[in-house]
Amino acid sequence: MTEGPSSPRRGNWYLLTAALIGLGLGLIYAWVLSPVRYVDATPASLRADFKDQYRLLIASSYIATGDLGRAQARLALLKDADPAQALNAQAQRLLLAGDPNHASTVLIMLAEAIQPGTVSPTPASFPLPVSTVTRPAETATGATPIAISSPILRPSVTPIAISSPILRPSATPIAVSSPILHQSATPTSTPGEPFVVTKQEKVCDPSLASGLLQVDVRDAAGRGVPGVEILITWNGGQQQFFTGFKPQLGDGYADFTMTPGIVYNLQLAKNSAQVTGLSAPTCPGQAGTTYIGGLHLVFEQP
Amino acid sequence: MSRWVKFLIVLVLGLAAGLLYGWVINPVQYTDMSPGALRSDYRTDYVLMVAEVNHANHNLDLAAQQLAMLGSTPPAQIAAQALQNAQLLGYTESDLQLLSELSSSLQSWQPGSGISP
Repeated sequence: MTEGPSSPRRGNWYLLTAALIGLGLGLIYAWVLSPVRYVDATPASLRADFKDQYRLLIASSYIATGDLGRAQARLALLKDADPAQALNAQAQRLLLAGDPNHASTVLIMLAEAIQPGTVSPTPASFPLPVSTVTRPAETATGATPIAISSPILRPSVTPIAISSPILRPSATPIAVSSPILHQSATPTSTPGEPFVVTKQEKVCDPSLASGLLQVDVRDAAGRGVPGVEILITWNGGQQQFFTGFKPQLGDGYADFTMTPGIVYNLQLAKNSAQVTGLSAPTCPGQAGTTYIGGLHLVFEQP
Repeated sequence: MSRWVKFLIVLVLGLAAGLLYGWVINPVQYTDMSPGALRSDYRTDYVLMVAEVNHANHNLDLAAQQLAMLGSTPPAQIAAQALQNAQLLGYTESDLQLLSELSSSLQSWQPGSGISP
């Protein structure tokens, strides 16, 4: 014999059933049939590749106008934890993808400009590619962006001379931290003979970060070569970094923080032999103590 | 009160709870938005950036491509709309001029025509 909800023998389970059905229907309506629609999105909610495009446009606009305050305000809309680092990271991705349009340069210039305490040249004083446009789908896969670029020359703006005192880094070095800034728009390695290691020395300077591996890449004339890709590998990992991202230390300078006890192999991505067996050395400190020092490698073209 | 009435009341309460949870407490999160969904003031600023770059390089193909990120509306229309918004939002005269320049340039722009004079 069947019993309806009015049957007293059913207890209150039907109420729970009703609640669950109602809840389910409500969620289906709220999440599927009529979800909350965001029509007033903020730049921070953009998809990552659109954010890259937005960031690049901010940098291009900064190059065009030189208005750093406005660029900073716009960058703040993206809510990146570290806008300079986000710019550098995007530039790094572009460089790794080949960056045929040198869009990384504008990103790096803006990153340099927003770094506190850095001397940055007036952007519009340099002939630089303005911008590139990337199709979202292509950007997402790291493919080559389509681009139309043209130089900006604003002769009315006086270039600021960059004095480059030789500074040794005191902050914690990372593979990419501070941006490149060059008079030449395209960071390229000098074609020619393979680079050879002309100096490999232990650096015992307690003011430097522990395990700092400093690399200088120079051409045959002894000039620093920016934009040289360096590949460092160790047991279970590898990393790429580029010269020229710390222009205050030289166009051909790059550094990497070694973990004590790990042995690294390093070579320039193109045109160099591999340097093996690199590890953070132990240096004598005061009163018989020791500390972790660093290494300095110099690559030169013969 | 009959059990059917109670059933329906609880059903409605459950429905309300579901809507409250789905719309207010834990609504659908959109984190991968396209520029086309930007709020009008952000869209206007985006177009202003395009105008600033275009003012420097006079590359309308590039400007059109950048504006295409905002949707399928013709670039000239996007720029014109941005100009209207900028006027409403009280943009400075120089910004309005840049937007006006971009808007008027795009009126006569043909795809592939490249760099404008």
